Amino acid sequence: MKRRTFLRAGAAGVAGAMAGAGGLLAWSPRAHAATVTRTLYITEGFTTQPDGVDVYARSFADADNRLQVPGAPFIVQEGDTVSVTIVNTLGTTHSFVIPGMVDSGPIAGGETRTVSFTADRVGSHLYHDGENAPYNRLVGLHGGFAVMPSGSGDELYAGSPTFRKQYTWVMTEIDPAWHERVRNGRTPNTAYTPRYFTINGRSMRVPGHPDYGNPDIDAGYAPDTRLSGAIGDRSLVRILNAGMAMHSVHFHANHVEWLARNGQPRADVWRKDTLMLPNDMGSLDVIYPFEPPPDAWPPVTTGYYPMHLHDEMTQTAGGGFYQFGLATTIAFK
Amino acid sequence: MFQYLEKYRKEGRKGSGGSSGACYVYPDAPATPGIVTPDVTFERSVYMNGSVTMDDGNSVRVWGFTEGGMMAGQFPSPAMRVTEGQIVHTVFSNNGMMWLHTIHHHGIEPSTENDGVGHYSFDVDGTYTYQWKAAHAGTYFYHCHTNTVLHAEMGMYGALIIDPPEGPGTLYAGGPSYDVEAVWACDEFDSSWHSLDWDAGTCGADVGLNDLNPDYFLITGVDGAQSALTDPRVAVSMNRGQRLLVRYINAGYLPQRITFGGLSAEVHGSDGRPFPRPVAVTSLTTHSAERYDCIFAPSRAGTYEVTVEYLDWVDGSVLGVARTRIEVA
Repeated sequence: MKRRTFLRAGAAGVAGAMAGAGGLLAWSPRAHAATVTRTLYITEGFTTQPDGVDVYARSFADADNRLQVPGAPFIVQEGDTVSVTIVNTLGTTHSFVIPGMVDSGPIAGGETRTVSFTADRVGSHLYHDGENAPYNRLVGLHGGFAVMPSGSGDELYAGSPTFRKQYTWVMTEIDPAWHERVRNGRTPNTAYTPRYFTINGRSMRVPGHPDYGNPDIDAGYAPDTRLSGAIGDRSLVRILNAGMAMHSVHFHANHVEWLARNGQPRADVWRKDTLMLPNDMGSLDVIYPFEPPPDAWPPVTTGYYPMHLHDEMTQTAGGGFYQFGLATTIAFK
Repeated sequence: MFQYLEKYRKEGRKGSGGSSGACYVYPDAPATPGIVTPDVTFERSVYMNGSVTMDDGNSVRVWGFTEGGMMAGQFPSPAMRVTEGQIVHTVFSNNGMMWLHTIHHHGIEPSTENDGVGHYSFDVDGTYTYQWKAAHAGTYFYHCHTNTVLHAEMGMYGALIIDPPEGPGTLYAGGPSYDVEAVWACDEFDSSWHSLDWDAGTCGADVGLNDLNPDYFLITGVDGAQSALTDPRVAVSMNRGQRLLVRYINAGYLPQRITFGGLSAEVHGSDGRPFPRPVAVTSLTTHSAERYDCIFAPSRAGTYEVTVEYLDWVDGSVLGVARTRIEVA
């Protein structure tokens, strides 16, 4: 059996992820469909949590020497042909699945497989490993997959309210006991009790902590999570739940426009400050409008605010450490 | 950049490791930027010696806000009620205390200083006047945002209602009218959390705040096992021909399913914003801190038993039920 090389998610791995993602998702519409070709390496390693505990993880990485949770985000256009080569560097069987679009089937340890499919479902999706469900997905084998409507650069779906910027937030929970069982090739046998909560693979840090402000570590500063804008910078946020728990997503300073739930456009756009995120690969699509905070007196156009989950157990790490959970910063520039 | 940030970089970490002493708190009580004479003022201070007696006879410790003094006050904390367009002062006094707290007016969207989130501004050590303008009528609540996971669980919240210019009796400006009103803030307690100190876990100790295992289920501070069926703070008595507004607040941390005993609710808005079109429902499934404004116009006399089921956040199984009634004469 191949000797496993355990990788550590650190500055190098995250920097690589950001180079691939370009921070927030950048997109220019095309007049015609194209073929999009990517290679993903299934890797394993450890991630360091806010309390210093290292937790085993697996990932769909851009390179074979990297641990990258979640996997690098995709953004393609409706009708594109997507060709993904999956290199399974591990000894275990995995797969690449986007429900309703593609299922690679089992890819044995050491095997490489290419799948091609048409991106025909506009909206926000998770790709994930469907093997050993849900455990492989939970230990990190998941990532965001956005399909833009044909020829459009500013809509979630044809005719939707428009935006200027877009982000993908992949949220999940971590029960380290489950990760350890998976590492040892065993099935988790304890009640699911998550101890860490992440957005795009990171948790929050706050002033006074040595990692505060480090965009590689601090979810409040990572450019792919932090909403940063001036008044009018309407930002689409694709919120994807790779975890098992239903969450409450709370935005400060602005109500969001709620466009879709589990990929289904809503009949009416409601303005909400708190929304229920379905579990097990559920999703929400919202636009954060970056309007002047309506209740400020005197009026303001700048400031710093949180987005955090309101099921406040998610705001902890390792059973304490309030403020070191699933949250990010909204910066009005 | 935020003016207090550099100070907190140096002073933010207080105390030492373990469970003694507070870490990552930001004590301050600055002057309110651009302070003006308000249209309405609320005074709030803190009590941390309250208790609620449950239907099984057990007493559970609660914390909350009072309108003055530190004597144990009501739970939930006293409501705030203002009119759209008013400039509001919430004068929060936390002077010389061994603990820190804030007031976050949930759903109200003011400046950073007045948003009441400790790590973006400050935890109040002294007296701070939160200044904000009530821009949108609807249902809100206020709660502490220091070590929030614990402080909101301990009961540090109260209702916040903004009436439209028409005043009470109308939900939104030009919107639907009502004759009878109820506020149902539905919350669950994990009583094992209720013996913790105000700063529990902030320095990194594992105090179990990731794992909520509720054993009591309440509606507006009243045990939903039995008492809320008849307690006048919760149960509704009305006549046919009247219109009832229920301001429903998910004040817990878990998903809830509220079912209206066979009555149909016309839901006109949520989170302080009217819907483009109302929706008719017989139940709602919600999550922490969502609010829904539900109007009932029952045409038949009867007793309608309302159930609030508190759901496991993973498998949706029912962990507990609270009940109340709408009596229509």
